[in-house]
Amino acid sequence: MKKYILLALAILFVAVYLFPLYWMYVTALKPSSEIFQFPPTFWPQDPQFDVADVWTRLQMDRFLTNSLIIAVGTSAIIVAVGTGCAYALARVRSVWMDIALFAILMMQVLPSSLMITPIFVAFSQVGLLEYPRLAVILAQAAKSLPLYIVLCRTAFMQVPRELEEAALVDGNSRIGAFFGVAIPLARNGILVTSVLIFLHAFGEYVYSRSLIGERALQPATVGLQSFMGPNTSDWSGVMTYSAIYVTPILIIFVLLQRRIVSGLTAGALK
Amino acid sequence: MVRFWRSLRDGSSFDAVLVWLALGYLIVFSAFPLIYNIVISLQTVDLFSIASLNRPFVGLQNYREVLSQPIAGLVFWNTLQFVVLSIVFQLCIGFGLALFFQQDFPGASYLRGLFLAGWIMPALVIGAVWSWILAGDFGVLNYWLRSLGLIDQNIFWLSDPSVSLYSVIIANIWLGVPFNMILLSVGLAAIPHDVYEAAELDGATAWQRFRTITLPLMRAPLGAVISLGVIFTLQQFDLFAALTQGGPSNASNVAQYWSWQLSFQTYQISYGSVVSVLMIVFVIGVAAIYTRSTRHEQAA
Repeated sequence: MKKYILLALAILFVAVYLFPLYWMYVTALKPSSEIFQFPPTFWPQDPQFDVADVWTRLQMDRFLTNSLIIAVGTSAIIVAVGTGCAYALARVRSVWMDIALFAILMMQVLPSSLMITPIFVAFSQVGLLEYPRLAVILAQAAKSLPLYIVLCRTAFMQVPRELEEAALVDGNSRIGAFFGVAIPLARNGILVTSVLIFLHAFGEYVYSRSLIGERALQPATVGLQSFMGPNTSDWSGVMTYSAIYVTPILIIFVLLQRRIVSGLTAGALK
Repeated sequence: MVRFWRSLRDGSSFDAVLVWLALGYLIVFSAFPLIYNIVISLQTVDLFSIASLNRPFVGLQNYREVLSQPIAGLVFWNTLQFVVLSIVFQLCIGFGLALFFQQDFPGASYLRGLFLAGWIMPALVIGAVWSWILAGDFGVLNYWLRSLGLIDQNIFWLSDPSVSLYSVIIANIWLGVPFNMILLSVGLAAIPHDVYEAAELDGATAWQRFRTITLPLMRAPLGAVISLGVIFTLQQFDLFAALTQGGPSNASNVAQYWSWQLSFQTYQISYGSVVSVLMIVFVIGVAAIYTRSTRHEQAA
């Protein structure tokens, strides 16, 4: 009996916590007249699916394409340079590796909003601002790379060393053992971490806002922000926009929830 | 050359190359800007001199000018409030939830995982949703507070200078609770069960068990969560952009947003880098304490 009371309480806590997300969806479904009703309705009386309208009116295709480009580019760079580093840090124990790990941990904590000033000045001097999306990708990759390395390192640490040594004895080179044994066995950890990094870059804001001046190249976060002036009245539009934007993220989260939680907790422990 | 390739294939160079690949990237795009930031903060940089490399050094003059601005005190006080209040509430709520979900009931770990849905959202979208919840006239929060009889008049959360900082704090607490809860759950799960059983046999009450077993054994995880909390709250930018934009009249402005405003809204780039240098030094200090303390744990 006590178990079911606890379960009911737990569901209540989750419901209270997730209310903002629920409220976003409910508002998105309400017609504008119902939005400003007082007292507010907690279930849309006359639900309207104006997804297509908001999609074209707020030019979401362009914004989401840019977000996607930035997220894909960032993840590609990070996976390319970070995976091997995570592997080496997990396998080799030496003072130099400890120093490298410490340096990487230190770079993980730098806040984007404080790093953007020097990045902006440096990028403008080397002409990178001519390619603003590339500039954001490069900066965001530097921001998320340390986290990727730390989380992937724990994935590689769970791969038994003996399997690789066996491959070496069988005549494999180090490169062969890395690609043939270590990566396939750490695949799940790498995949989940990459998804986290991807989602993070998909919601990136500071760098895009500061480095991308041209409206046609801005990602969805900056687009959303520009529709929310201090006198916003189009709350239905803003919430529909948000709902379209985050629904894929929520779906990925629900599918990977168990792995994300265990990946995070393992990364935090070691 | 041949020897290098062989060592790359089979020897120690392989690991070194892998590490340097990532480290090199970080040095170019993280460490270099970090140092460049200090250089900029000592020069006069504005929109006109940004492209030229030949900029006059002015020493610590920028620091004096930034710190003597009347809003500097307000901004640093706000930053302090933002960090302290966010962390206290995130920690208490997160710890409470972690303790609750530690109990044995069906679906506990699944329901606990659902909290991370908030953590994984783009913070700017979360800010948009909260600004609708907190809206003065039609916000659902005001509706609840009124129907519970807690307030007679609507609070204009985002435009009233006396509460605007707290509205950002509320949203930030919401955003930070899941992470705190998950990390503290890990710590709680590591406490051996039989310690509690022994204490229970000795007749210790739940509160006594919490105070004499849980709290002391959770010292290290709590320390980690607090230092990570300081680091993460100082990274928070998107909520300010979505909710109050530092306003009204800087009532909710904090250092990380002020630095950006100086650089990108008024184009006083050297001033922006002064604020950013000061805050980054602080963040790195906290991070160094944190990493050092976790290393001690491992060694012990």
